[in-house]
Amino acid sequence: MDPSGIFPTSYRADRRVVRTRWQAAALALFVVLMLAAPYLAGGRIIAVLNMMMISAVIAVGLQICTGYAGQINLGQAAFMGVGAYTASILASKTGLTFLLTIPLAGFSAALFGFLFGLTAARIKGFYLALTTIAAQFIFHFAVLNLPSSWMGGSNGITVPPAELFGLRFVGETAQFYMNFAVAAIMVAGAFGIVRSRFGRAFVAVRDDDVAAGIMGINVAATKATAFLIGAFYAGVGGALWAYLIRFVGVDQFTLFHSIFFVAMIIVGGMGSIVGALVGVFVIRFIQEIVATVGPNIADSVSFLGGDIVFAGMNVILGGVIAMFMILEPKGLMHRWNIIKSSYRIWPFPY
Amino acid sequence: MVYFINDIITGALIGLLYALVAMGFVVIYRASKVFNFAQGELVIIGGFIVWFTTMQLGLSLWLSIPLSLVLAGLVGYAIERIFLTKLIGESVFSMVMVTVGLLILLRGLVLLLFGPAVRPFPIIFPLKPLFLGDMLIPMNLLAGGIITIVAAVGLSWFFNRTRSGLRMTAVAEDHVVASSMGISVKGSIAFAWVLGAILSTIGAMIFLSGKSLTFLASDIGFAALPVALFAGLESIGGLILAGVIIGIAQSLTTNYLDPLIGGSLGSVVPYIIMLAILLVRPTGLFGWRTIERV
Repeated sequence: MDPSGIFPTSYRADRRVVRTRWQAAALALFVVLMLAAPYLAGGRIIAVLNMMMISAVIAVGLQICTGYAGQINLGQAAFMGVGAYTASILASKTGLTFLLTIPLAGFSAALFGFLFGLTAARIKGFYLALTTIAAQFIFHFAVLNLPSSWMGGSNGITVPPAELFGLRFVGETAQFYMNFAVAAIMVAGAFGIVRSRFGRAFVAVRDDDVAAGIMGINVAATKATAFLIGAFYAGVGGALWAYLIRFVGVDQFTLFHSIFFVAMIIVGGMGSIVGALVGVFVIRFIQEIVATVGPNIADSVSFLGGDIVFAGMNVILGGVIAMFMILEPKGLMHRWNIIKSSYRIWPFPY
Repeated sequence: MVYFINDIITGALIGLLYALVAMGFVVIYRASKVFNFAQGELVIIGGFIVWFTTMQLGLSLWLSIPLSLVLAGLVGYAIERIFLTKLIGESVFSMVMVTVGLLILLRGLVLLLFGPAVRPFPIIFPLKPLFLGDMLIPMNLLAGGIITIVAAVGLSWFFNRTRSGLRMTAVAEDHVVASSMGISVKGSIAFAWVLGAILSTIGAMIFLSGKSLTFLASDIGFAALPVALFAGLESIGGLILAGVIIGIAQSLTTNYLDPLIGGSLGSVVPYIIMLAILLVRPTGLFGWRTIERV
């Protein structure tokens, strides 16, 4: 919220994403730091950053679908899996360049998501969440039970490295730049989507779908579009994932991973792109800590075995989701905005 | 032909087991308007409680089963007190997300407390199947089917005919309106979770009797989901019909279609039925039709 007396004088200024000079400076600093990161930080941090950027693409997609359009989506990992499988099949069988496979992965995931979004024409609320769970199970089934020459069955698919003009994107650093470029494009695109006509329609449908329909918004089409966009992001993220891990298997895309993504946007704050990024950072950071600390605990408490990381992550994430829903349902971004606006208008109350 | 009939009967009985687990969903929904995604984890917790009281404490079944049901009820009550009481009046989204959080929280807790090891589950129902001519019917499923039908009839009488049941139905309609009419929303939700946890524990006993117990058994929660939706989330009696239809469809697919295509289509059939029913008739067979007013 701007202080009293400061208001945009044109529509253009009102729509602006970067509103102040300080914001521009902070954004520039962030981009420079990210570009320089491989030279500043060690391999472990770069690996984590890679993970975060891929998750960021997927979580931003989920933010558009769930945070902006209000459609609960518990199948984001399945959409991601569709993208990952598309990219790896195209790359390993036809040898297409990643410049094509990544968008194609997005489109195929979008198609899959759209099919489930279409059910939104008839149903709403958490019934819709149930169809996305069905998407999760049907994806799992399709991969495991279709002929293994198609999708690798339970063996998974090995992915060839991404290549451009004879330059191979192998190693954490090269992939870091590839992921950063894609993530930057996708996040910038998300900012564009949410302040466009579509974004306003999403928010209207989220807030009250009956009222939105009366105002002339095609509610069913808007919901299906939200799924389409969310799944497109998941598919692109899945393709990046496939190129990073160089192997896809069905166990990488379970309901639990979907819930991880939901946790990210809940922690960051619903209805905010930056919130999704914050959530990704927080959740992946926690995950990293659990992955580092977990094995040490597992050594001292031997009967738990190697599952402690998974189990500990589940306990923490489940606790975090429940805690945020009870104590801070609007997420960290909401708290940050309160602090920011009270700082801006200080010493006045409004 | 005998095998065919046998498949149908076994399928129907498995469907009734799904219906029993689905009854946990419906009871919680009927009394609190919360859709509990963590139902499968409640089944697992019930299973571990039964395992603990019989195998660890060494109690006889006559003692351990009532004790397990009481403990399960306490767990349900604790979950409600810690997580759901604070959300009364909040959006449906918050409540659903909390149960999604509970899903992975409970899964993690079970893994941390009991580990991934496979454990023997006590034999509650006789292992020897019932022979009817050439057909054989597993005793646990048969007993489970009877329990399901009795429970469904009893609970649907309770929710539709008694005063306290109707109060809970009012809570499921609208929390704020119900509490302004003097109905205790807290009490209703607490009761629902206690009942849901107890039903899940009974489901666990039937499902796991004489088998092995791991945390993977919670998948039955998601297998029961299509039954709950098919019946309509508000109908307890309808669960029996829905369970029988889905169970038979699944059994026939597993036994006759899967050998032909060489896959396990049977495990997905319930979801396909669920998607179809959501598209054609979102309220299920016997669910309430809500009229949208502006």
